[in-house]
Amino acid sequence: MKIVVLVKQVPDPNAVRFDPRTGDIQSGTPQVANEYDLHAMEAAIQLKERRDDVELVAVSLGQARETLNRCLAMGADRAVAIEDATLAAGDSTVTARALAALLRAEGFDLLLAGQETSDGGTGTVGPQLAALLDVPVVSNVVALEERDGVFVAQREIEDGRQVLEVTPPAILCALSGLNEPRYPSLKGIMAARRKPTETKTAADLGLSAAEAQARVTWGPLFQEEETAEGIILRDVDADSAVDQLVAFLQERKLI
Amino acid sequence: MTDGASGVLLAVETRDGAIRETSKELFGLGRTLAGELGGPLGAVVLGSGVEAAAREAAALGADRVLVADAPELAAFTVDAYAKALDAAIDATQPRIVLLAGTTAGRDLAPFLAMRREAACLVDCVRLAWQDGAWVGTRPVYQGKLLTEVRAPGDGLTFATIHAGAVAAPEPDPGRISETTPLPLQFAPGEIRVTVTDLVQAPAGPTNLEQAEVVVVGGRGLGEAANFRLAEELAEVLGGAVGATRAVTDLGWRPHYEQVGQTGKTIAPKLYIGLGVSGAVQHTVGIRGSETIVAINRDPDAPIFKMADFGVVGDVHEIAPKLAAKLRAVRGA
Repeated sequence: MKIVVLVKQVPDPNAVRFDPRTGDIQSGTPQVANEYDLHAMEAAIQLKERRDDVELVAVSLGQARETLNRCLAMGADRAVAIEDATLAAGDSTVTARALAALLRAEGFDLLLAGQETSDGGTGTVGPQLAALLDVPVVSNVVALEERDGVFVAQREIEDGRQVLEVTPPAILCALSGLNEPRYPSLKGIMAARRKPTETKTAADLGLSAAEAQARVTWGPLFQEEETAEGIILRDVDADSAVDQLVAFLQERKLI
Repeated sequence: MTDGASGVLLAVETRDGAIRETSKELFGLGRTLAGELGGPLGAVVLGSGVEAAAREAAALGADRVLVADAPELAAFTVDAYAKALDAAIDATQPRIVLLAGTTAGRDLAPFLAMRREAACLVDCVRLAWQDGAWVGTRPVYQGKLLTEVRAPGDGLTFATIHAGAVAAPEPDPGRISETTPLPLQFAPGEIRVTVTDLVQAPAGPTNLEQAEVVVVGGRGLGEAANFRLAEELAEVLGGAVGATRAVTDLGWRPHYEQVGQTGKTIAPKLYIGLGVSGAVQHTVGIRGSETIVAINRDPDAPIFKMADFGVVGDVHEIAPKLAAKLRAVRGA
């Protein structure tokens, strides 16, 4: 069985600060592995641990060497980095086309990805790949096991959880509830140094200029200031605070 | 532009035969955009046993209602819903398809847009038709920042609308629209994902998205057992309990109670945050709340910037006193 995991390196969501001069986040924001992608990676490793015939490949688009090394140290067999400036500037459609070109050549039984990234956060690449590769997709996965060659998953939806089954090949998108990603062991980190990482460009993937053309364009980032000027009680004893709060709720006819 | 394409098509999701709140919100925006395009407002109602929902779609302002009613649509799968929506697009030839930013909508829009080589704008909190192009405003960096995304208006476009971003119009029960069934034939194996069960989240008054009062507990509650403070307050006020991502990540509460960017978007009359710091990840999901009350020990907690009433103090002391006082006031 071949499992491919898609990973992305993103600005650390806890360190993201707006720079109004550039209309972007501050330059030099530290980069980290996208959190949901690590849950996808962990799910793949857990499947691999239960069988002895799994090949596990980590694939990234954009600069992601540290994240790919982490995946190799966690237990991936090899890594593929798609690095191309023309693709980095594209929208999620371009990303999906580039990944699809690679995945057609690689082939897979299971493709795992994080539900969305913490930067752009469109959450569209899984469904887009499903359309391009004609493979079923299940999003918002919070539980996964393999039973006799069938993937049994739970999908978190507004009303609760769908329990569902899908046969390979399939695309699954992971939420954080799926598992607890492991930290790479020292042994894993040492072993990762001997594992191969391939680099591919748009040309390597046979992507045409038209396919690398974004349809959706993104403007600069901006912020909307909070305007609420509420009543904030400080250093007020609990009983008095509760009295004032109840009076406020009564005034607004909320109780 | 495809010849004859005009107007707006809404993908309308249902639950238990009624239109979902998030889908109702599409009708007002759809009407505005249809007016600007000078075309009709179509709606495809998706589900199983949705006759009443079809009438609801007419009442909410659709000019034309297509009814995709099939047992295969009882549970959401991308394959079945994409087939139905695809057929509705062929039947109505819209210039834009609007979907709610639900788990279903967020799957369907990019899937069908890619299949049809169409542009897709996701998670829009605003969407406008400007100078022959679609301009959406959407949150990025987990809601910390916003950006404008733009798609050329010369082809079919898909857009998902962030839940709670626009208000649902008042239904006009007397309104009648042209309503036609959308015939759907599913071949064996065409739906490649088999849904075997649905583990239901509690419905009714505790349903987060419909509740008029929501009491959210954050990490500041200290431990899972302290959620009884939130439950007690919610019970007194007849509301629902929600949780922040920090709390669901810790496993204190189930994920379906999570409110925020990666959870539910709520717009209750009254929101009460207990030990909620107000990370943007969370606040993006509560912006539609009419009144926000926050109790937190940290005076610098960002939630106080958006609170209508805040108390800087110990939630473990204040929340039980508040519940007792409310019980006394309501009992009187």
